[in-house]
Amino acid sequence: MAMFSQNPIMNGPSYSFNDAPRVNGPEGARQHRFDPYTDNGGSTLAIAGADFTIMAGDTRLTSGYSINSRHHPKLFKIGGTTADQKDATIVLSVVGFMADGEALKERLDTICKMYRYRHGKPMSVKACAQRLSTILYQKRFFPYYAYAILGGLDEEGKGAVYSYDPVGSYEREQCRAGGAAASLIMPFLDNQVNFKNQYEPGSGEGHALQEVARRPLTRNEVETLVKDAFDGAVERHIEVGDGLQMMVITSTGIEEILLPLKKD
Amino acid sequence: MEFGTSGSLNEDGIHVDMDRLKKGEVNLGTSIMAITFKDGVILGADSRTTTGAYIANRVTDKLTRVHDTIWCCRSGSAADTQAVADIVQYQLGLFAMTNGKPPTTQTAASIFQEICYANKDRLSAGLIIAGWDERHGGQVYSIPLGGSLHKQSYAIGGSGSTYIYGFCDANWREGMEEGDAVNFVKEALKEAIKWDGSSGGVIRMVVLTAKGADRHLYLPDTDYAVRHN
Amino acid sequence: MPGFDFSNYNRNAALCARGMSLPKATSTGTTIVGCIFDGGVVIAADTRATSGPIVADKNCEKLHYISPNIWCAGAGTAADTEFTTALISSQLELHSLSTGRKPRVVTCMTLLKQHLFRYQGHIGAYLVVAGVDPTGTHLFTVHAHGSTDKLPYVTMGSGSLAAMSVFETLWKPSMTRDEAVELCSQAIQSGIFNDLGSGSNVDVAIITADKTTLKRNYVKPNERVPKLRSYVFRRGTTAVLNEKIIRKEDLGNYVSVHELSTAAAEEGGDDKMEVDT
Repeated sequence: MAMFSQNPIMNGPSYSFNDAPRVNGPEGARQHRFDPYTDNGGSTLAIAGADFTIMAGDTRLTSGYSINSRHHPKLFKIGGTTADQKDATIVLSVVGFMADGEALKERLDTICKMYRYRHGKPMSVKACAQRLSTILYQKRFFPYYAYAILGGLDEEGKGAVYSYDPVGSYEREQCRAGGAAASLIMPFLDNQVNFKNQYEPGSGEGHALQEVARRPLTRNEVETLVKDAFDGAVERHIEVGDGLQMMVITSTGIEEILLPLKKD
Repeated sequence: MEFGTSGSLNEDGIHVDMDRLKKGEVNLGTSIMAITFKDGVILGADSRTTTGAYIANRVTDKLTRVHDTIWCCRSGSAADTQAVADIVQYQLGLFAMTNGKPPTTQTAASIFQEICYANKDRLSAGLIIAGWDERHGGQVYSIPLGGSLHKQSYAIGGSGSTYIYGFCDANWREGMEEGDAVNFVKEALKEAIKWDGSSGGVIRMVVLTAKGADRHLYLPDTDYAVRHN
Repeated sequence: MPGFDFSNYNRNAALCARGMSLPKATSTGTTIVGCIFDGGVVIAADTRATSGPIVADKNCEKLHYISPNIWCAGAGTAADTEFTTALISSQLELHSLSTGRKPRVVTCMTLLKQHLFRYQGHIGAYLVVAGVDPTGTHLFTVHAHGSTDKLPYVTMGSGSLAAMSVFETLWKPSMTRDEAVELCSQAIQSGIFNDLGSGSNVDVAIITADKTTLKRNYVKPNERVPKLRSYVFRRGTTAVLNEKIIRKEDLGNYVSVHELSTAAAEEGGDDKMEVDT
């Protein structure tokens, strides 16, 4: 019986160290395995605009059916020269196993700082993105269990979003949702940011219909989409809630916004 | 739903997995005991019921009446022991009505054993039956997991009992006065509760004599010193 | 044939052995509570139903009717709580009719525990049984394996720890009706906010000797926040790849249609149902 079973009914999710999964081996032998990972829930989101990038994440930290914290940030400014990161230009968001996520943040931040001291200029998002991929792949066989999204402005000043899998595969995208409610938010983003499945009324028949033209969204439009996306996710996903942390990256700096979400 | 291959009987038909409790089941990880004394018997128990690490009931009554002066202490699965006790209570009620006289403790213990032995592969129930009857006076019977029946001058059971074998062996005296007997049970259970994490709460006792059943209750607030009720 | 249908058992066992996972039942990862007061008993529940981490129903009903003076709060597998309470409610009504007495809470509790014990925990119903009958006010919990407890205040479900912490700090013997309702509501809200399996609203039922009051959505501490903009699409936004219109007169080509005359429909066909008068 699970010693720290948090849900008497389902005998359910337990602390990973104390209650390593027992797999039944051949001939009734019980196999004990070290399981250092926990899923801490939560969701993140990033959208690139013409001259800005908005990153967002909820601030709930869970394990099993418990809330460990109602205010635990998933967004981190990367590569600033001061403790409060006020001159940072890049934002990293992480979901999955928070301990790994924060370890990853520390690694990337240190590397970006070292780069800045050595070269006398901040790292470009493009370089930072490639470096993050390398860090993740270095732990290919004991991965950081973290879904990372990196956001900033590229060399031309356009919004840039890079999304990753836990072992370092990455690509630049217009928008990306990560974490627990990714499957709820991503289709909404496809439809509202990239206008997928939307056609110009009366522009043709069947396949000949003309897709709604893509246009860059304004900062206000994107902020509205992000808030609505999270309000929707909170309604239907139990691991998302409490607070919404948003970071708006523009050429003048990074603006941080905190908004309340439902707490049930 | 699970489709595991883990049956309770092995191919050789001998080994029975005794320490199983169905997943998520309510457990009486208990300290229970019953003793004989000069005028009859005393049953005693803690009051803790657990599901995993959670205390589902901190004031459980594990001393169950199956007839006026025949009671039992329950340990193991709460569901199994309640079901068995309910059946025996019905059988003894029927016995008393058809025969026009109360059943003996031995009869009760026998019915308990019949059920526990016939369903040994399906039950996790450790029972102590104690009673007073006109013919034999006070008697104590113990039915451990396999369904065997043991007549004893005193019996201890449940997870907490492992801590008090020494205490009971050192302090047991045959034919004690009621006051001394109550004290013996109380001190033994205090030790069991102190050392066993699955035992705790209040101490309940039932004294069965020619005069009938008398309930005792001791609370931890006063270190079980004062009798309530 | 009454009871469960096991005809797919072997097929499912074979599929399972080949690595196919069986469908997951909707579980009401729940907070349910009950509390006795002077003159009656209160039970309460949250209204969230979950399927894994997804909210399946934001405002489901977890307080089940047994008889006018006995109600049940259910946690565990949604279908099991629903059908088990309905079955016992029916048995209790028939029993009440044949004995000519009002149903008792102990009878209900005994029927439930014997039914659940027979199924050895495979029926995942965790229940709080409460009611007032000629013998007095009663409150029980019944676990899926068939064990029961009798206590002055009880909690069950994944939020039971959160709710019990409220009871253990605020409960006192002999409360008024309003105090008990408030205490139960607080206990449920503790589950709603601290247990991820519980959420949305608080349902309360108050049972006294003369009547039962069901307060559906007694507290609504989690109203939906309105969206910041409208997501209504312009008509014609969605591509129509092909279109086929079936008129009513052509319906017979696709399904079998039997026209019922109005007279026949009113009489209910040839074999009229017998009704006791």
